Amino acid sequence: MKRATQATETPQVGRSVPRLESWLKVTGRAEYVHNLRLPGMLYGKIFRSTVAHGRIKRIDTAAAQALAGVYRVITSKEIIQLIAEPYFGPAFHDQPILAIDKVRYVGEPVAVVLASDPHVAEEAVHLITAEYEELPAVYGEVEAMTSKAIVHDVLRPAGTFPDLKHLKDRKNTNLALDFHLRRGDAAKAMKNAARVFEHTFTTQQVMHTPLEPLVSVAESTESSLTIHTASQSPSFVRIEIARLLGWPENRVRVRVPFLGGGFGAKLYIKLEALVSVLSLLTKRPVKVSLTMEEQFFTITKHASTFRIKSGVAPDGRIVARECEVWWNGGAYADIGPRVTQKSGFTAPGPYDIEHVAVDSYSLYTNLPPAGALRGFGIPQLVWAYEGHTDLMARELGIDPIEFRRRNLLREGRPQATGTVMKDAATEKVLERISALLDWGKPFDRGTGTVKKGRGIAIGFKACVSPTTSLAAVNVNADGSCIVYCSTADMGQGSDTAMAQIAGEVLHMAAESITVVHSDTDVTPYDMATLGSRSLFHMGNAVKLAAEDARNKLDVLRKELNLAADCPVSDIFKKKYGMQAGNVTGAGSYIPAYKSPDANGLTDNATPFWMVGGSGVEVEVDTETGKVRVTRLVNVADVGTPINPKIVETQISGAAIMQLGFTLHEKMEFDAQGQLRNASFAEYKIPGLLDLPGTMVNEAVMAEQKSGPFGGKGVGESGTFGVSPAIANAIHDAVGVRLTSLPLKAEDIWEKLK
Amino acid sequence: MRREIRFRLNGEAVSAQVAPHENLVEVLQQNFGLYGARESCGQGMCGCCTVLVNGTAVSGCLYLASLAENASVETVEGTGEPDAVQEAFVEASAFQCGFCTPGFILMTRQLLEEQPDPDDDAIKHYLSGNLCRCAAYPEIIEAVKLAARKRRKA
Amino acid sequence: MAPFDLAQPRTLEEAFALLDAEGARPLSGGTALMLMMKAGVLRLERLVSLRNLGLDRIEAHGTLRIGAMTTLSTLERSPEVRKGWPVIARALRTLSNVRVRNVATVGGALAHADPHMDLPPLLSALGAKVVIQGRNGERTMAVEDLYAGYLENTLGKDLITHVEIPPLGKRGAAYLKCTTRSADDWPAVGVAVVLGEETRIFVSAATDRPTRIADENALTGLKIEGDLHGSAAYKRQLLKVYLRRAIDEARNASH
Repeated sequence: MKRATQATETPQVGRSVPRLESWLKVTGRAEYVHNLRLPGMLYGKIFRSTVAHGRIKRIDTAAAQALAGVYRVITSKEIIQLIAEPYFGPAFHDQPILAIDKVRYVGEPVAVVLASDPHVAEEAVHLITAEYEELPAVYGEVEAMTSKAIVHDVLRPAGTFPDLKHLKDRKNTNLALDFHLRRGDAAKAMKNAARVFEHTFTTQQVMHTPLEPLVSVAESTESSLTIHTASQSPSFVRIEIARLLGWPENRVRVRVPFLGGGFGAKLYIKLEALVSVLSLLTKRPVKVSLTMEEQFFTITKHASTFRIKSGVAPDGRIVARECEVWWNGGAYADIGPRVTQKSGFTAPGPYDIEHVAVDSYSLYTNLPPAGALRGFGIPQLVWAYEGHTDLMARELGIDPIEFRRRNLLREGRPQATGTVMKDAATEKVLERISALLDWGKPFDRGTGTVKKGRGIAIGFKACVSPTTSLAAVNVNADGSCIVYCSTADMGQGSDTAMAQIAGEVLHMAAESITVVHSDTDVTPYDMATLGSRSLFHMGNAVKLAAEDARNKLDVLRKELNLAADCPVSDIFKKKYGMQAGNVTGAGSYIPAYKSPDANGLTDNATPFWMVGGSGVEVEVDTETGKVRVTRLVNVADVGTPINPKIVETQISGAAIMQLGFTLHEKMEFDAQGQLRNASFAEYKIPGLLDLPGTMVNEAVMAEQKSGPFGGKGVGESGTFGVSPAIANAIHDAVGVRLTSLPLKAEDIWEKLK
Repeated sequence: MRREIRFRLNGEAVSAQVAPHENLVEVLQQNFGLYGARESCGQGMCGCCTVLVNGTAVSGCLYLASLAENASVETVEGTGEPDAVQEAFVEASAFQCGFCTPGFILMTRQLLEEQPDPDDDAIKHYLSGNLCRCAAYPEIIEAVKLAARKRRKA
Repeated sequence: MAPFDLAQPRTLEEAFALLDAEGARPLSGGTALMLMMKAGVLRLERLVSLRNLGLDRIEAHGTLRIGAMTTLSTLERSPEVRKGWPVIARALRTLSNVRVRNVATVGGALAHADPHMDLPPLLSALGAKVVIQGRNGERTMAVEDLYAGYLENTLGKDLITHVEIPPLGKRGAAYLKCTTRSADDWPAVGVAVVLGEETRIFVSAATDRPTRIADENALTGLKIEGDLHGSAAYKRQLLKVYLRRAIDEARNASH
């Protein structure tokens, strides 16, 4: 683990540097909030709602409070003493820290027991009872549009998003946002089309299940608060907690070490407001550490319904498309409204279609809240439009790859919003999948009860915009270097990538660079680690910061009459007479952006496009409907890979995760909104035995000209094509089309009977 | 309620005051500051809590600490220099967030003790009780094979 | 988890005395018990560990005699088992995971009476018997008679001390299960088949306990429970398919 500080001429970008923290991780010594114990710390255990929708009539905490070892039991009553309006959320201020007056889903936090011994706190939770006056509940996203069951009496949009302002104080609706896009005249073009196809696809509610369950610790004084949290968005947490308390930002400090997985579960604000008030109320450090089961009651991925309709010209070109998407946001909006809009505008898919209409609706229901999960709504959309594409190709008798070729959205052509496609390698991705599958060659269809099939799918995503990243790069007197940034390394390898970018600028080995983890007292602002934005935004900020430091060093060399190539340590020695001082470079990056107009149109919707697709070969057992994925190829445009090995494993990991969402994973609710499978015993994520027979994961040769050294995000692209490619392959194998996820063997068997 | 138990921990004789309902992971964390074994699913299905007791892998989050009395307990923190398995996991890039990694490393050590040259099928079966949500599975299989080669050479 | 006492007796008499107390339960491997206690669905005052009772030996003298506290791993690796009852070693390879098998015991796996488990149908098909020790003496019982329903056994306050499996000889045997979600899921159906003069077929997971059937025709009348792994109709189909496949495998496995 030697660390050199000497300069190097070896390129840092494009090198598969092993993760900087590799040895900490393989020796079990990497820092996670999970590991944090502070002197005098109390553990909080949560008492949760048992009804999906109800007015709280009574909460009886007496027996819990009386249990030996219990420090205190807290309900919203105590919290209101501290914060008059204790509601949080990134898009709507709709989520109470603990339920107030009403509960809106089974599993919603209602009370917390605090004790020094977590076993005692857990025991006491069993002694709390609550009575509810049950209200009618609504679970389905389409049903929620017209249901008489209203989840929120009044809507409370956060002030931060201008496009939500018109929803303020709106009543008698479950609609948290509707996004509409109109380009050309889809209705008219549909009428004139030679063929019209319409299909409806649905997806299920699933959970991220990071193996380090959500965990936060807060410690407080009269005038300050330090939050140690497994968060993907420390800067947002600081701003939101400061807002809740009415404090300036500098009294709230948010620290984030490594995350044991995130995938969107640890975004915005989750347990942070709760631990903050618990610590302020007790004047003790407080830790709330969820169990795997509790994670299912905290944040999930949107279930969705997508009605898609296309008009096709006689030459096989798609001329019109109408998309209606309903997103099941659960009881609290979280970032759902952003999913509705930011994903909504790509609902027509990576196809060049002149007339487009999109209607995308974010709905409240009485289910656990939904937010961002690796793809921010895109996998739900690709699932639908790529199934639709395949069905059309089949009906038209056109080869599915040829059909896509005819309609593909190519470089320089306007996307549905009107934004022109730039540095988006749609063609390369499509052609590479075709080549990897040997699409043109004869294919063995299987024999007996085992039938074989193959399918492909391709999707794209616009990076969320506009968002800001700031970074600082410090060069010390001995020439060693520290990068300060608030990007959370949750396994995606951001520390390593940022060190490579800084190292490339400063001619230093990435391995010799230290990356300081998020600490809002130290590291500059960053919007969040989400949506594959960090490599591009923070990468650009780090590059600018490193260049700034390098320029300052060059200026010093000149001032001190030193040779242009003299070692950095000589500069400081000459200037300060000893090993002393340092130079700090600063970088700030925000891309250009233009908000969509009333028709959802803009000529600058995103700073970059992500493209990802998959090709699949399957075997289907015709007696049982069981599907085996024998081959899975995943291809993505990630610009120029900064770290090729990490890029490959990101594509692979994303695809395997999506494989779980495709074949096994589903949160199963009963008619009362009770979750029946909130544990790994009954919620099955993929394991080693579920891997495809063979797998190929590739980045195409590409460059994102506006990205740092040609790079851009990669974390989500591997998810895009997996689900529809498998459904398309099943159709190819046995002629059965499934339109809802997950693809259950039983459903295939039903249709084969 | 608490009772002193003695056992060997990573080769050293130690003792701890434990309550009967405390599991091995809790005792390793609160009494010895060892966090390599960690509770995740809480049901013995993910393997994050893997600990070796008398050379046998157990799910530490389901294993009562009292039952480790007089036993030899090993964790990923181990004693000395990193071994071939750890080297192989680093070289093969066989982890992302690292939360499940200690469990995979301990299970791989036990696998290679039993089967010095496992094929893909043997690796998948043996490690099927360890979950990695980042899904570094292809790299983990590579790492196990690489570790096997390193051990045979040594 | 709620606090409890842990006792580790050295004789069966001591164990019985400790188990007579209110809220006492025997602890073998504990892999299932710990889950129920952690979830708060089972609250006990005292656990009585059976691990120091010397019940962890495997002997093969024609019949395979297994101490109830033998771990599933020990059984899986036993040369006697691999030679005389290879179907058991094959079935154990996909039973839960290595860590569970390192700790879970044969007696515990039988007494737990979860119909999704692999050993009850397989040992039933093999014609195995359990030796049960009570306060007033010992008795033996066919494994299939241990089960009264879902998570219900017929042990009362008695303990399984041994399992005896008659020689398999040259008879073909197979155990197949079908998981409908991930590979490591609880099975939707399990089928154990032992061929011979008297073919023994047991199905599990689809039924509330291991259930003997004469042949495929008997599936029609079988009471099958639908759950998250599949509807009753689908499980019936899976049983049909897996029964046929198990019989084929058993035929090929005969030696």
